[in-house]
Amino acid sequence: MKLLIIEDEQGLRESIERYFTEEGIICESCDNLQTAINKTRLYQYDCILLDIGLADGEGFTLLSHLQSTGNNEGVLIISARNSLDDKLKGLNLGADDYLTKPFHLAELKARVAAIFRRKAFNTSNILNYEEISINLPAREVQVNEMPIILTRKEYDMLLYFIANKGKVISKNAIAEHLWGDEIDLADSFDFIYTHIKNIRKKLMDAAHKDYIKSVYGVGYKFL
Amino acid sequence: MKLSAQYSKVNLIITISVLFIAGIIYYGTIDYIANNQLDRNLDEEIGEVADYVKINQRLPKQIDFDEDQTSFTKTDQKAIAKVFFDTVYRNPREKKPESGRAVTGLITLSGVNYKVIVIESKEATEYLIQLITLITLVLTALLLLILVIANRYILNGLWKPFYHILQQLKAFNIADATSIELSETKVDEFKELNDAVLSMSSRVNSDYQNLKTFTENASHEMMTPISVITSKLDTLIQDETLKFEQFNQINDIYAATNRLSRLNQSLLLLVKIENDLIQDSANLNLKDIITEKLHQFQELTQSKHIGVTHTLDDMEITASKYLIEILINNLFSNAIKHNIPYGTIRILLNDNKLIIQNTGENESLNEKEIFERFQKGKTSEGTGLGLTIVKNICSQYNFRLNYYFEKPLHSFQIDFV
Repeated sequence: MKLLIIEDEQGLRESIERYFTEEGIICESCDNLQTAINKTRLYQYDCILLDIGLADGEGFTLLSHLQSTGNNEGVLIISARNSLDDKLKGLNLGADDYLTKPFHLAELKARVAAIFRRKAFNTSNILNYEEISINLPAREVQVNEMPIILTRKEYDMLLYFIANKGKVISKNAIAEHLWGDEIDLADSFDFIYTHIKNIRKKLMDAAHKDYIKSVYGVGYKFL
Repeated sequence: MKLSAQYSKVNLIITISVLFIAGIIYYGTIDYIANNQLDRNLDEEIGEVADYVKINQRLPKQIDFDEDQTSFTKTDQKAIAKVFFDTVYRNPREKKPESGRAVTGLITLSGVNYKVIVIESKEATEYLIQLITLITLVLTALLLLILVIANRYILNGLWKPFYHILQQLKAFNIADATSIELSETKVDEFKELNDAVLSMSSRVNSDYQNLKTFTENASHEMMTPISVITSKLDTLIQDETLKFEQFNQINDIYAATNRLSRLNQSLLLLVKIENDLIQDSANLNLKDIITEKLHQFQELTQSKHIGVTHTLDDMEITASKYLIEILINNLFSNAIKHNIPYGTIRILLNDNKLIIQNTGENESLNEKEIFERFQKGKTSEGTGLGLTIVKNICSQYNFRLNYYFEKPLHSFQIDFV
């Protein structure tokens, strides 16, 4: 998977690049609109992370450009503005998703994975990870070809974990993913624990393997 | 007391006293002129008497001086000054005393000195004075009446622009973008007042607008650094050589960053509501939204062993779904957050009100302060903006929001008026 990160805040850009770079993912990055447009002219990307507020213009320009050239990249907008108008404008210009700052890198990765899956839907409906096999349209999970029943939240969490495999995901990130940012859950990490415990048990029963590792009270890691 | 009444009062007192003093002076002057005239007549009479005595060498008979009464008394005095004075005049025909004017003089006939007194009736002049006084009084009364009426109507008319300005000022709402509308006036003072009010209101409006823009920009600008912190933390925890202690500290930073981000989002939301920027109104079934939210919050209530009972009727409102969800979210999360283990939450929705009641601390909150910004319980981890947002959403849609405490339930009631 080839990724283009367009973000003018250096610290954020570096963090994203570092988090995403792994086997099978190639990241390129730039901090302004002009370079980004040149890059998309020259290369093909699977997914573009696009900041709206750039020094030399709004990210929407790139979206229009992509639309006019008929490119088929997945685009995820990352913006400091939580504005419905911006969101609609971006989606109308062909963006696939809109993420408001601040966000957790795990959330960003899960969204990118979702975009990537949608783009690749034509070729495969099945997401495989070791013994786990997920039928995406049907939302069905099999482990070693044995179906297991997950609740909606557990299913969401499994996808989230697989997208962030090998990474430590903070409890904050998980909480926000599961409940959204509408609900202020300052003291609600217990619920995460309950969900993790359930999903862990279900996977363990089916695969005889502990996929989820707890990391010092800060979060969890999916292996 | 109204300005016009105050003015009328002063005006009336001054007018009456001036007219009163003028009346006295007027009376005195007429009286003086009339007396002068009489005195001149009397002087002539004395002259005539003297002439008569000189020519006829005898004292005249009373008959010769028609209305005037003349009396002669012998006197030893060698000289008598010509003195005019008021006295009583006896009208021979009507036999009743009238006020009269008299003069004394000295006449010498055949070596004998006589003191002459001539009395003239003042009846005619008195009558004149009375008539003049009456006319004056009537005119004065008329003048006063006209003044009072004029004051009332003209003054009220004159002050109309003032009351218009006052009304506009009373209705002035800083959060409202509608500017003050002032009526045309030809009076310089009111023109000046209009200008001052206009410039003041536009200055206040623009200051307020600037403040809101500033809040919005500041909050937006803060989102980027917060997202840098979050992303760095997310990266940091990947390092598994860190110790437990360090992870603990990272957790605290996560929590603080999370709060900062929420605070920012809440401030932005408040600005948006106040600026009336959220206008995706649609017909909503409140019952459906509440049912959905109850489902969402189920895990939270269950983990705290809170019993939730609800009576929900179908209820349609026209509002932004986004805002109504935030409203319900905030009220629900408060009801859960400030609840006690094994407590209760009661929800009642009918076609004119929504009541959310919960158990919690066993004393009333300060109903005046709880809706103010940054008012929160000592133990609350929240932003202190939740209820302010609820209040602002309610006032956006003209819902009435009230808090009351009836042991052991804290109640938030929204009346859909």
